[in-house]
Amino acid sequence: MIYNEINFEASPFRYHLKYSTRITIVRGDSATGKTYLFDLLEDLKLTEAYQKIKLFNYKSDNFHELLADCRENFIVIDNADIMLNEEDRCFINFEKSNQYMLFLRNCDGINLSRDSFVILQEEEGIVSLKKEMVTA
Amino acid sequence: MIYLYTNTKHKDAKSWIMKNDWYFNLNTGNQSFTEKEKHAIKKVDQAKLTEDKHIVTKYGVGTIRNLSSGCKTLLNILMNPDKVVNIDECGKNVLDIIFTMEDISIHMSRPERIAINEDKEILFNDTDLVIGKKGYENWWTSEYKRRDEEDDL
Repeated sequence: MIYNEINFEASPFRYHLKYSTRITIVRGDSATGKTYLFDLLEDLKLTEAYQKIKLFNYKSDNFHELLADCRENFIVIDNADIMLNEEDRCFINFEKSNQYMLFLRNCDGINLSRDSFVILQEEEGIVSLKKEMVTA
Repeated sequence: MIYLYTNTKHKDAKSWIMKNDWYFNLNTGNQSFTEKEKHAIKKVDQAKLTEDKHIVTKYGVGTIRNLSSGCKTLLNILMNPDKVVNIDECGKNVLDIIFTMEDISIHMSRPERIAINEDKEILFNDTDLVIGKKGYENWWTSEYKRRDEEDDL
C-alpha cells in the first residue's frame, strides 16, 4: 500500500480517507463529491507527503501510455468508465507496486474483493470512505 | 419508449454523446435552461442555479461546469433529444430518473439495478422490445448468456 490513509482539511470539509485494499472502487449515487475530491487532490499532490498521487481524468493526454509508466504511485482515475480499456484493466491487476482509487462503475476485468467497494460519505463536515454493500 | 443501445454498432448512423462532461461543458451548458432543467439540477445535485449560470451547493459557489457528471448526463439527455447519450457514469439516483423519461435514446454497456415501471417500453438495439423492469432484467440475462456462448466459441 502506498497510503493507508489520506487526511487533509479543505474548508468547510475535513477528509479522512482510509484504504484497506490496493484497489479501491468509489461508486454510489451521482453528486456525492467524487469529482470535487479529485479536484482537491490536484492541490494535495503538490505537497511532499502526497507526491506519490497521480491523477487522471477525461482531460488527460496520453492517458494509456502514462498509466503504463506508473510505478509505486497512488493512482486516482475520475471518469474511469469512459477511460479504461482492457489493457489498462490488466495493468491495474498486475502492476502491484501501484495503489488505485478508481471512480468507476463497470468493474469487469479488475480483480477485486468485497472490501474494494466504497462510497463517499459526509457527516457533519467530515468526509470518509464507507464500505458499500455489494450483492452478487 | 426508451431507445437503449448496449453497443456502438450503430454509432456511425446516429449522433452520440459518449463523454458527457466534455459535451456539456462545450455545448449543452451554453443553451438556455428551462424550469425543467433547473428542477433536474436541484433534484440531482441539490444545487440552486442563478440567472448567470452559477450554482450554489454545499461545496460552495461554482459554475455549471461544476455540476456532477450524472447531472450533466441527465441535462444532455433532456436538452439533446436527437442524440444517443451514454449513461455508464450515472449513479442509481440519476438512472432512476432517466428510466421515467419518454422518447429518449441512451447507451449503457452493462446492466444496473434500476427502478422501472412495469409498463415502461424499452427497445434494445432497435430490435428487441421489452416491457417493464422484468423485461429489462430478462433481456440482460439473455444478453450475458449470449456473451458467454460467444466467449466459449
